[in-house]
Amino acid sequence: MDLPINANEPLVMHIDLNSCFATVEQQANPLLRGKPIAVAAYASPAGCVLAPSIEAKRYGVRVGMNVRTARLLYPQLVVLEPDPNKYRFIHLMMRKVLRNYTDRITPKSIDEVVIDFADSRMLNKRPLTDIGAEIKQRFRREIGEWISASIGLGPNRFLAKVAAGLQKPDGLEVIDHANLLATYERLRLLDLPGINVRYEARLNAAAIHTPLDFYRAPLRLLHRQVFRSVNGYYWYLRLRGWEIDAIDFKRRSYGQSYALPQATADPKQLSQLLMKLCEKAGRRMRKADYVAQSVWLSCLYRDRTHWARGRQTHRQLATTYELFIAAQRLLNQQPAIKAVTHLAVSFADLMPTSPYQPELFETEDTRRRRAGAAVDQINNRYGEFIITPALMLGMESRILDRISFGGSVKELQEIYD
Amino acid sequence: MREIMQEKVDVVTIYDRTAGRIAPYRLRWHGKTFDITKVGLHYTYWRGRDLHHIFTVTDGTTFFKLDHDTSNLQWMLTEVHDGLAD
Repeated sequence: MDLPINANEPLVMHIDLNSCFATVEQQANPLLRGKPIAVAAYASPAGCVLAPSIEAKRYGVRVGMNVRTARLLYPQLVVLEPDPNKYRFIHLMMRKVLRNYTDRITPKSIDEVVIDFADSRMLNKRPLTDIGAEIKQRFRREIGEWISASIGLGPNRFLAKVAAGLQKPDGLEVIDHANLLATYERLRLLDLPGINVRYEARLNAAAIHTPLDFYRAPLRLLHRQVFRSVNGYYWYLRLRGWEIDAIDFKRRSYGQSYALPQATADPKQLSQLLMKLCEKAGRRMRKADYVAQSVWLSCLYRDRTHWARGRQTHRQLATTYELFIAAQRLLNQQPAIKAVTHLAVSFADLMPTSPYQPELFETEDTRRRRAGAAVDQINNRYGEFIITPALMLGMESRILDRISFGGSVKELQEIYD
Repeated sequence: MREIMQEKVDVVTIYDRTAGRIAPYRLRWHGKTFDITKVGLHYTYWRGRDLHHIFTVTDGTTFFKLDHDTSNLQWMLTEVHDGLAD
Protein backbone atom coordinates (compact mmCIF):
# COMPACT_ATOMS: atom_id res chain seq x y z
CA MET A 1 0.00 0.00 0.00
CA ASP A 2 1.22 3.49 -0.85
CA LEU A 3 2.23 5.81 1.96
CA PRO A 4 -0.32 8.66 2.22
CA ILE A 5 0.55 12.35 2.11
CA ASN A 6 1.37 13.74 5.54
CA ALA A 7 -1.88 15.45 6.60
CA ASN A 8 -0.40 17.17 9.67
CA GLU A 9 -0.57 20.93 10.02
CA PRO A 10 2.31 22.62 8.13
CA LEU A 11 4.45 23.67 11.08
CA VAL A 12 7.84 24.02 9.43
CA MET A 13 8.74 27.48 8.23
CA HIS A 14 11.51 28.13 5.72
CA ILE A 15 12.79 31.70 5.51
CA ASP A 16 14.98 32.79 2.61
CA LEU A 17 16.34 36.33 2.31
CA ASN A 18 15.82 37.38 -1.30
CA SER A 19 19.03 37.83 -3.33
CA CYS A 20 20.69 38.17 0.06
CA PHE A 21 24.14 39.62 -0.63
CA ALA A 22 22.84 42.02 -3.29
CA THR A 23 19.85 43.10 -1.20
CA VAL A 24 22.09 43.75 1.79
CA GLU A 25 24.38 45.89 -0.38
CA GLN A 26 21.31 47.84 -1.55
CA GLN A 27 20.22 48.24 2.05
CA ALA A 28 23.66 49.57 2.93
CA ASN A 29 23.89 51.89 -0.06
CA PRO A 30 20.56 53.59 -0.80
CA LEU A 31 21.97 54.87 -4.13
CA LEU A 32 21.96 51.27 -5.42
CA ARG A 33 18.32 50.54 -4.60
CA GLY A 34 16.17 49.68 -7.58
CA LYS A 35 19.26 49.28 -9.77
CA PRO A 36 20.67 46.11 -11.34
CA ILE A 37 23.68 45.21 -9.21
CA ALA A 38 25.61 42.01 -8.58
CA VAL A 39 27.91 40.78 -5.86
CA ALA A 40 30.73 38.81 -7.48
CA ALA A 41 33.70 36.91 -6.06
CA TYR A 42 35.89 39.44 -7.92
CA ALA A 43 34.84 42.54 -9.83
CA SER A 44 37.21 41.55 -12.68
CA PRO A 45 35.66 40.19 -15.93
CA ALA A 46 36.37 36.56 -14.98
CA GLY A 47 34.86 36.99 -11.48
CA CYS A 48 31.93 34.72 -10.70
CA VAL A 49 28.56 36.33 -9.90
CA LEU A 50 27.47 35.19 -6.43
CA ALA A 51 24.27 37.19 -6.06
CA PRO A 52 22.49 39.33 -8.64
CA SER A 53 19.91 41.80 -7.33
CA ILE A 54 16.25 41.25 -8.14
CA GLU A 55 16.55 44.01 -10.78
CA ALA A 56 19.64 42.36 -12.35
CA LYS A 57 17.82 39.02 -12.55
CA ARG A 58 15.23 40.71 -14.79
CA TYR A 59 18.05 41.30 -17.32
CA GLY A 60 19.04 37.65 -17.18
CA VAL A 61 21.99 37.98 -14.80
CA ARG A 62 22.31 34.67 -12.95
CA VAL A 63 24.37 33.14 -10.14
CA GLY A 64 27.51 31.43 -11.49
CA MET A 65 27.78 33.65 -14.57
CA ASN A 66 31.02 35.59 -14.99
CA VAL A 67 31.09 39.37 -14.71
CA ARG A 68 31.97 39.75 -18.41
CA THR A 69 28.79 37.92 -19.48
CA ALA A 70 26.70 39.74 -16.88
CA ARG A 71 27.92 43.09 -18.28
CA LEU A 72 27.04 42.00 -21.79
CA LEU A 73 23.48 41.52 -20.57
CA TYR A 74 23.43 44.85 -18.75
CA PRO A 75 26.44 47.14 -19.41
CA GLN A 76 25.65 49.53 -16.51
CA LEU A 77 25.64 46.68 -13.99
CA VAL A 78 27.21 47.75 -10.68
CA VAL A 79 29.50 44.95 -9.53
CA LEU A 80 30.60 44.75 -5.90
CA GLU A 81 32.91 42.36 -4.11
CA PRO A 82 31.48 40.57 -1.04
CA ASP A 83 31.58 42.20 2.39
CA PRO A 84 31.12 39.22 4.76
CA ASN A 85 30.92 41.38 7.90
CA LYS A 86 27.68 42.91 6.60
CA TYR A 87 26.16 39.53 5.76
CA ARG A 88 27.13 38.01 9.11
CA PHE A 89 25.57 40.96 10.90
CA ILE A 90 22.32 40.64 8.91
CA HIS A 91 22.22 36.91 9.66
CA LEU A 92 22.60 37.60 13.39
CA MET A 93 19.87 40.27 13.24
CA MET A 94 17.58 37.84 11.43
CA ARG A 95 18.25 35.25 14.13
CA LYS A 96 17.59 37.82 16.87
CA VAL A 97 14.14 38.59 15.41
CA LEU A 98 13.28 34.91 15.01
CA ARG A 99 14.27 34.01 18.56
CA ASN A 100 11.24 36.00 19.71
CA TYR A 101 9.06 33.22 18.35
CA THR A 102 10.89 29.99 19.23
CA ASP A 103 14.35 28.61 19.91
CA ARG A 104 13.84 25.81 17.37
CA ILE A 105 15.76 27.71 14.69
CA THR A 106 18.09 25.88 12.34
CA PRO A 107 20.28 27.99 10.06
CA LYS A 108 20.67 26.36 6.65
CA SER A 109 23.04 28.97 5.27
CA ILE A 110 23.84 32.64 5.79
CA ASP A 111 20.49 33.63 4.21
CA GLU A 112 18.25 30.65 4.95
CA VAL A 113 16.71 29.56 8.21
CA VAL A 114 14.28 26.79 9.13
CA ILE A 115 11.95 27.09 12.12
CA ASP A 116 10.07 24.16 13.56
CA PHE A 117 6.94 25.36 15.38
CA ALA A 118 5.87 21.86 16.46
CA ASP A 119 6.89 22.33 20.10
CA SER A 120 5.68 25.89 20.49
CA ARG A 121 2.15 25.34 19.10
CA MET A 122 0.70 24.87 22.58
CA LEU A 123 1.96 28.31 23.61
CA ASN A 124 1.28 30.15 20.42
CA LYS A 125 -1.98 29.45 18.63
CA ARG A 126 -1.71 32.29 16.10
CA PRO A 127 -1.89 31.18 12.49
CA LEU A 128 1.63 30.68 11.17
CA THR A 129 0.81 32.74 8.09
CA ASP A 130 0.22 35.71 10.44
CA ILE A 131 3.54 35.04 12.14
CA GLY A 132 5.21 34.80 8.72
CA ALA A 133 3.77 38.14 7.63
CA GLU A 134 4.85 39.69 10.94
CA ILE A 135 8.40 38.33 10.55
CA LYS A 136 8.64 39.96 7.12
CA GLN A 137 7.48 43.28 8.58
CA ARG A 138 9.89 43.04 11.46
CA PHE A 139 12.81 42.31 9.12
CA ARG A 140 11.96 45.55 7.31
CA ARG A 141 11.54 47.52 10.51
CA GLU A 142 14.39 46.09 12.60
CA ILE A 143 17.01 45.10 10.02
CA GLY A 144 16.36 47.43 7.10
CA GLU A 145 13.52 48.63 4.91
CA TRP A 146 15.06 47.05 1.78
CA ILE A 147 15.39 43.57 3.32
CA SER A 148 12.77 41.18 2.01
CA ALA A 149 12.29 37.48 2.58
CA SER A 150 10.35 34.67 0.96
CA ILE A 151 8.68 32.45 3.52
CA GLY A 152 7.30 28.98 2.99
CA LEU A 153 5.29 26.74 5.31
CA GLY A 154 5.07 22.99 4.94
CA PRO A 155 4.69 19.78 6.93
CA ASN A 156 8.41 19.03 6.43
CA ARG A 157 11.58 20.98 5.66
CA PHE A 158 11.56 19.99 2.01
CA LEU A 159 8.03 21.25 1.30
CA ALA A 160 8.62 24.39 3.37
CA LYS A 161 11.62 25.17 1.12
CA VAL A 162 9.60 24.40 -2.01
CA ALA A 163 6.90 26.78 -0.70
CA ALA A 164 9.46 29.52 -0.05
CA GLY A 165 10.57 29.25 -3.67
CA LEU A 166 7.07 29.49 -5.15
CA GLN A 167 6.86 33.26 -5.08
CA LYS A 168 10.03 35.32 -5.20
CA PRO A 169 10.67 37.94 -4.05
CA ASP A 170 8.73 38.58 -0.89
CA GLY A 171 6.39 35.57 -1.01
CA LEU A 172 4.51 33.79 1.75
CA GLU A 173 3.18 30.43 0.62
CA VAL A 174 1.86 27.30 2.29
CA ILE A 175 2.00 23.73 1.04
CA ASP A 176 -0.12 21.17 2.85
CA HIS A 177 -1.84 17.89 2.05
CA ALA A 178 -4.70 19.74 0.34
CA ASN A 179 -2.64 21.62 -2.28
CA LEU A 180 0.46 19.42 -2.55
CA LEU A 181 -0.44 17.73 -5.84
CA ALA A 182 -1.69 20.97 -7.39
CA THR A 183 1.64 22.55 -6.43
CA TYR A 184 3.65 19.71 -7.98
CA GLU A 185 1.60 20.12 -11.14
CA ARG A 186 2.98 23.60 -11.80
CA LEU A 187 6.64 22.85 -11.04
CA ARG A 188 9.53 21.36 -13.00
CA LEU A 189 11.82 18.70 -11.58
CA LEU A 190 14.63 21.26 -11.34
CA ASP A 191 12.44 23.46 -9.14
CA LEU A 192 12.67 20.82 -6.40
CA PRO A 193 15.48 21.53 -3.94
CA GLY A 194 18.09 18.78 -4.20
CA ILE A 195 17.30 17.86 -7.80
CA ASN A 196 20.10 18.96 -10.12
CA VAL A 197 20.56 18.24 -13.82
CA ARG A 198 22.26 14.91 -13.10
CA TYR A 199 19.39 13.67 -10.93
CA GLU A 200 16.94 15.05 -13.49
CA ALA A 201 18.58 12.91 -16.19
CA ARG A 202 18.41 9.82 -13.97
CA LEU A 203 14.73 10.46 -13.28
CA ASN A 204 14.06 11.05 -16.99
CA ALA A 205 15.70 7.71 -17.76
CA ALA A 206 13.03 6.10 -15.56
CA ALA A 207 10.27 7.99 -17.44
CA ILE A 208 9.88 10.51 -14.63
CA HIS A 209 9.59 13.96 -16.22
CA THR A 210 7.59 16.05 -13.75
CA PRO A 211 7.33 16.37 -9.96
CA LEU A 212 3.95 14.70 -10.23
CA ASP A 213 5.53 11.68 -12.02
CA PHE A 214 8.18 11.72 -9.29
CA TYR A 215 5.51 11.68 -6.58
CA ARG A 216 3.62 8.86 -8.29
CA ALA A 217 6.72 6.73 -8.86
CA PRO A 218 6.60 3.50 -6.82
CA LEU A 219 9.03 3.17 -3.94
CA ARG A 220 10.63 0.13 -5.55
CA LEU A 221 11.42 2.09 -8.74
CA LEU A 222 13.00 4.98 -6.83
CA HIS A 223 14.91 2.70 -4.49
CA ARG A 224 16.13 0.03 -6.91
CA GLN A 225 16.36 1.79 -10.25
CA VAL A 226 16.63 5.56 -9.96
CA PHE A 227 18.72 6.22 -6.87
CA ARG A 228 19.91 2.65 -6.23
CA SER A 229 20.28 3.48 -2.57
CA VAL A 230 18.33 4.45 0.53
CA ASN A 231 18.03 7.91 -1.05
CA GLY A 232 15.16 6.55 -3.13
CA TYR A 233 13.26 5.81 0.09
CA TYR A 234 14.11 9.25 1.49
CA TRP A 235 12.72 10.94 -1.65
CA TYR A 236 9.59 8.80 -1.41
CA LEU A 237 8.99 10.14 2.14
CA ARG A 238 10.10 13.70 1.40
CA LEU A 239 7.74 14.12 -1.54
CA ARG A 240 4.82 13.08 0.66
CA GLY A 241 5.63 15.61 3.35
CA TRP A 242 7.24 13.26 5.87
CA GLU A 243 10.30 14.63 7.66
CA ILE A 244 13.61 13.11 6.70
CA ASP A 245 15.93 16.11 6.71
CA ALA A 246 15.85 17.22 10.36
CA ILE A 247 19.31 15.91 11.03
CA ASP A 248 22.24 17.85 12.43
CA PHE A 249 25.52 16.68 11.00
CA LYS A 250 28.62 16.78 13.16
CA ARG A 251 31.60 18.68 11.89
CA ARG A 252 34.09 16.28 10.34
CA SER A 253 36.66 18.61 8.88
CA TYR A 254 37.96 22.16 8.60
CA GLY A 255 38.70 23.35 5.11
CA GLN A 256 39.47 26.42 3.12
CA SER A 257 39.50 27.01 -0.61
CA TYR A 258 40.49 29.76 -3.00
CA ALA A 259 39.51 30.52 -6.59
CA LEU A 260 42.55 32.24 -8.07
CA PRO A 261 41.76 35.41 -10.02
CA GLN A 262 44.66 34.44 -12.32
CA ALA A 263 45.68 30.83 -12.83
CA THR A 264 49.25 30.03 -11.86
CA ALA A 265 51.63 27.07 -11.91
CA ASP A 266 54.33 28.98 -10.01
CA PRO A 267 55.26 26.72 -7.06
CA LYS A 268 56.21 29.68 -4.86
CA GLN A 269 52.87 31.41 -5.36
CA LEU A 270 50.99 28.17 -4.81
CA SER A 271 52.94 27.53 -1.60
CA GLN A 272 52.10 31.02 -0.37
CA LEU A 273 48.43 30.52 -1.08
CA LEU A 274 48.50 27.11 0.53
CA MET A 275 50.13 28.58 3.64
CA LYS A 276 47.39 31.18 3.92
CA LEU A 277 44.68 28.55 3.47
CA CYS A 278 46.33 26.42 6.19
CA GLU A 279 46.56 29.43 8.49
CA LYS A 280 42.86 30.27 8.03
CA ALA A 281 41.62 26.68 8.38
CA GLY A 282 44.05 26.07 11.26
CA ARG A 283 42.90 29.15 13.16
CA ARG A 284 39.28 27.98 12.98
CA MET A 285 40.20 24.41 13.91
CA ARG A 286 42.34 25.44 16.89
CA LYS A 287 39.68 27.89 18.07
CA ALA A 288 37.24 24.98 18.25
CA ASP A 289 39.89 22.94 20.15
CA TYR A 290 40.57 20.27 17.55
CA VAL A 291 43.64 18.69 16.02
CA ALA A 292 43.54 16.86 12.69
CA GLN A 293 44.97 13.52 11.66
CA SER A 294 44.51 13.67 7.93
CA VAL A 295 44.84 16.20 5.17
CA TRP A 296 43.16 16.54 1.76
CA LEU A 297 44.25 18.74 -1.10
CA SER A 298 42.45 19.45 -4.32
CA CYS A 299 43.54 21.40 -7.42
CA LEU A 300 41.39 22.48 -10.32
CA TYR A 301 43.48 23.33 -13.38
CA ARG A 302 42.98 25.81 -16.19
CA ASP A 303 42.45 22.92 -18.63
CA ARG A 304 39.43 21.98 -16.45
CA THR A 305 41.06 18.80 -15.15
CA HIS A 306 41.01 18.05 -11.46
CA TRP A 307 43.45 16.37 -9.12
CA ALA A 308 42.98 15.54 -5.45
CA ARG A 309 45.01 13.64 -2.92
CA GLY A 310 44.50 12.81 0.75
CA ARG A 311 46.75 11.36 3.39
CA GLN A 312 46.44 10.20 6.96
CA THR A 313 49.24 11.36 9.18
CA HIS A 314 50.97 9.49 11.98
CA ARG A 315 50.97 12.56 14.16
CA GLN A 316 48.38 15.08 15.18
CA LEU A 317 48.36 18.29 13.19
CA ALA A 318 47.64 21.47 15.10
CA THR A 319 49.91 24.39 14.26
CA THR A 320 49.82 26.18 10.93
CA TYR A 321 53.34 24.92 10.29
CA GLU A 322 52.32 21.28 10.82
CA LEU A 323 49.22 21.67 8.66
CA PHE A 324 51.19 23.42 5.94
CA ILE A 325 53.98 20.82 5.80
CA ALA A 326 51.41 18.02 5.47
CA ALA A 327 49.51 19.90 2.73
CA GLN A 328 52.68 20.96 0.90
CA ARG A 329 53.77 17.32 0.72
CA LEU A 330 50.56 16.56 -1.12
CA LEU A 331 50.96 19.57 -3.41
CA ASN A 332 54.42 18.32 -4.34
CA GLN A 333 52.87 15.07 -5.55
CA GLN A 334 50.94 16.71 -8.40
CA PRO A 335 51.41 14.44 -11.41
CA ALA A 336 51.85 17.39 -13.78
CA ILE A 337 52.77 21.04 -13.34
CA LYS A 338 49.77 22.88 -14.70
CA ALA A 339 48.17 26.27 -14.05
CA VAL A 340 45.90 26.02 -11.01
CA THR A 341 42.61 27.96 -10.95
CA HIS A 342 41.19 26.63 -7.68
CA LEU A 343 43.06 25.36 -4.65
CA ALA A 344 41.37 23.71 -1.66
CA VAL A 345 42.69 22.09 1.48
CA SER A 346 40.88 20.39 4.31
CA PHE A 347 41.88 18.74 7.55
CA ALA A 348 39.89 15.79 8.83
CA ASP A 349 39.90 12.93 11.35
CA LEU A 350 39.41 15.52 14.04
CA MET A 351 40.30 14.85 17.65
CA PRO A 352 39.61 17.12 20.60
CA THR A 353 42.74 18.99 21.71
CA SER A 354 42.09 18.26 25.34
CA PRO A 355 42.86 16.30 27.38
CA TYR A 356 46.38 17.21 26.44
CA GLN A 357 49.12 14.76 27.32
CA PRO A 358 52.17 16.82 28.29
CA GLU A 359 55.55 15.50 27.29
CA LEU A 360 58.15 14.68 29.89
CA PHE A 361 60.92 16.32 27.90
CA GLU A 362 60.36 19.41 25.81
CA THR A 363 60.67 18.67 22.12
CA GLU A 364 60.73 20.80 19.00
CA ASP A 365 57.00 20.03 18.57
CA THR A 366 56.15 21.31 22.04
CA ARG A 367 58.07 24.52 21.46
CA ARG A 368 56.41 25.00 18.08
CA ARG A 369 52.93 24.47 19.53
CA ARG A 370 53.62 26.94 22.32
CA ALA A 371 54.80 29.50 19.77
CA GLY A 372 51.72 28.77 17.64
CA ALA A 373 49.42 29.28 20.62
CA ALA A 374 51.14 32.60 21.38
CA VAL A 375 50.71 33.76 17.76
CA ASP A 376 47.02 32.80 17.92
CA GLN A 377 46.61 34.85 21.08
CA ILE A 378 48.23 37.89 19.46
CA ASN A 379 45.99 37.53 16.40
CA ASN A 380 42.95 37.14 18.67
CA ARG A 381 43.85 40.38 20.37
CA TYR A 382 44.87 42.52 17.40
CA GLY A 383 43.08 40.88 14.45
CA GLU A 384 43.73 38.26 11.80
CA PHE A 385 47.17 38.09 10.14
CA ILE A 386 48.86 40.57 12.51
CA ILE A 387 51.57 37.90 12.84
CA THR A 388 51.93 35.59 9.88
CA PRO A 389 54.44 33.02 8.66
CA ALA A 390 57.22 34.65 6.61
CA LEU A 391 56.06 32.76 3.52
CA MET A 392 52.88 34.85 3.55
CA LEU A 393 54.70 38.20 3.44
CA GLY A 394 53.31 40.56 0.84
CA MET A 395 50.05 38.72 0.33
CA GLU A 396 47.89 40.33 3.01
CA SER A 397 44.96 40.96 0.71
CA ARG A 398 45.08 37.60 -1.08
CA ILE A 399 42.48 35.02 -0.04
CA LEU A 400 39.92 37.41 1.25
CA ASP A 401 37.37 36.83 3.94
CA ARG A 402 34.50 35.02 2.26
CA ILE A 403 31.23 33.32 3.13
CA SER A 404 30.72 30.01 1.46
CA PHE A 405 27.51 28.96 -0.21
CA GLY A 406 25.50 25.91 0.79
CA GLY A 407 26.83 23.52 3.41
CA SER A 408 28.06 26.47 5.44
CA VAL A 409 25.89 25.71 8.44
CA LYS A 410 28.85 24.69 10.55
CA GLU A 411 30.61 27.94 9.74
CA LEU A 412 27.55 29.79 11.03
CA GLN A 413 28.15 28.19 14.39
CA GLU A 414 31.48 30.02 14.39
CA ILE A 415 29.61 33.31 13.87
CA TYR A 416 27.49 32.66 16.96
CA ASP A 417 30.48 31.74 19.14
CA MET B 1 32.59 54.63 -9.51
CA ARG B 2 33.70 53.02 -6.28
CA GLU B 3 36.79 54.04 -4.35
CA ILE B 4 38.24 52.12 -1.42
CA MET B 5 40.35 54.14 1.00
CA GLN B 6 41.43 54.53 4.58
CA GLU B 7 41.25 58.24 5.42
CA LYS B 8 40.54 60.03 8.68
CA VAL B 9 37.51 62.30 8.41
CA ASP B 10 35.68 64.87 10.52
CA VAL B 11 32.29 63.51 11.59
CA VAL B 12 29.46 65.16 13.53
CA THR B 13 27.13 62.65 15.18
CA ILE B 14 23.74 62.88 16.82
CA TYR B 15 22.60 60.76 19.73
CA ASP B 16 18.87 59.99 19.88
CA ARG B 17 18.12 59.20 23.52
CA THR B 18 14.63 57.86 22.73
CA ALA B 19 15.82 55.31 20.19
CA GLY B 20 19.12 54.87 22.05
CA ARG B 21 20.96 55.31 18.77
CA ILE B 22 23.88 57.33 17.53
CA ALA B 23 24.25 58.24 13.87
CA PRO B 24 26.55 60.41 11.77
CA TYR B 25 24.91 63.71 10.85
CA ARG B 26 27.56 65.52 8.85
CA LEU B 27 31.06 64.74 7.56
CA ARG B 28 33.87 66.76 6.11
CA TRP B 29 36.16 65.20 3.54
CA HIS B 30 38.66 66.87 1.20
CA GLY B 31 37.49 70.30 2.40
CA LYS B 32 33.84 69.64 1.48
CA THR B 33 30.98 69.23 3.91
CA PHE B 34 28.36 66.55 3.31
CA ASP B 35 25.05 66.54 5.17
CA ILE B 36 23.94 62.99 5.71
CA THR B 37 20.36 62.39 4.71
CA LYS B 38 20.16 58.64 5.25
CA VAL B 39 21.91 55.87 7.17
CA GLY B 40 21.68 52.70 5.08
CA LEU B 41 23.08 50.24 7.58
CA HIS B 42 24.78 50.32 10.94
CA TYR B 43 26.65 47.17 11.85
CA THR B 44 29.59 46.07 13.92
CA TYR B 45 32.55 43.77 13.59
CA TRP B 46 35.50 42.81 15.73
CA ARG B 47 39.09 43.25 14.69
CA GLY B 48 40.85 41.22 17.36
CA ARG B 49 39.45 42.63 20.60
CA ASP B 50 38.57 46.02 19.08
CA LEU B 51 34.94 46.69 18.26
CA HIS B 52 34.30 48.67 15.09
CA HIS B 53 31.00 50.36 14.21
CA ILE B 54 30.32 50.76 10.52
CA PHE B 55 27.85 53.34 9.28
CA THR B 56 26.97 53.30 5.61
CA VAL B 57 25.47 56.69 4.77
CA THR B 58 24.57 58.99 1.91
CA ASP B 59 23.97 62.67 1.34
CA GLY B 60 21.65 61.78 -1.53
CA THR B 61 24.29 61.82 -4.26
CA THR B 62 27.34 60.12 -2.76
CA PHE B 63 27.64 56.99 -0.63
CA PHE B 64 30.13 56.90 2.26
CA LYS B 65 31.24 54.03 4.45
CA LEU B 66 32.45 55.22 7.83
CA ASP B 67 34.39 53.02 10.25
CA HIS B 68 34.42 54.04 13.90
CA ASP B 69 37.09 52.25 15.94
CA THR B 70 35.88 52.14 19.56
CA SER B 71 39.38 51.44 20.87
CA ASN B 72 40.72 54.85 19.82
CA LEU B 73 37.49 56.69 18.86
CA GLN B 74 38.81 57.41 15.36
CA TRP B 75 36.53 57.86 12.36
CA MET B 76 37.83 56.56 9.05
CA LEU B 77 36.27 56.90 5.62
CA THR B 78 36.78 53.52 3.97
CA GLU B 79 34.62 53.69 0.83
CA VAL B 80 33.03 56.26 -1.45
CA HIS B 81 30.63 55.39 -4.27
CA ASP B 82 28.53 57.43 -6.66
CA GLY B 83 26.07 54.59 -7.23
CA LEU B 84 27.15 54.09 -10.86
CA ALA B 85 29.00 51.29 -12.59
CA ASP B 86 32.82 51.53 -12.83
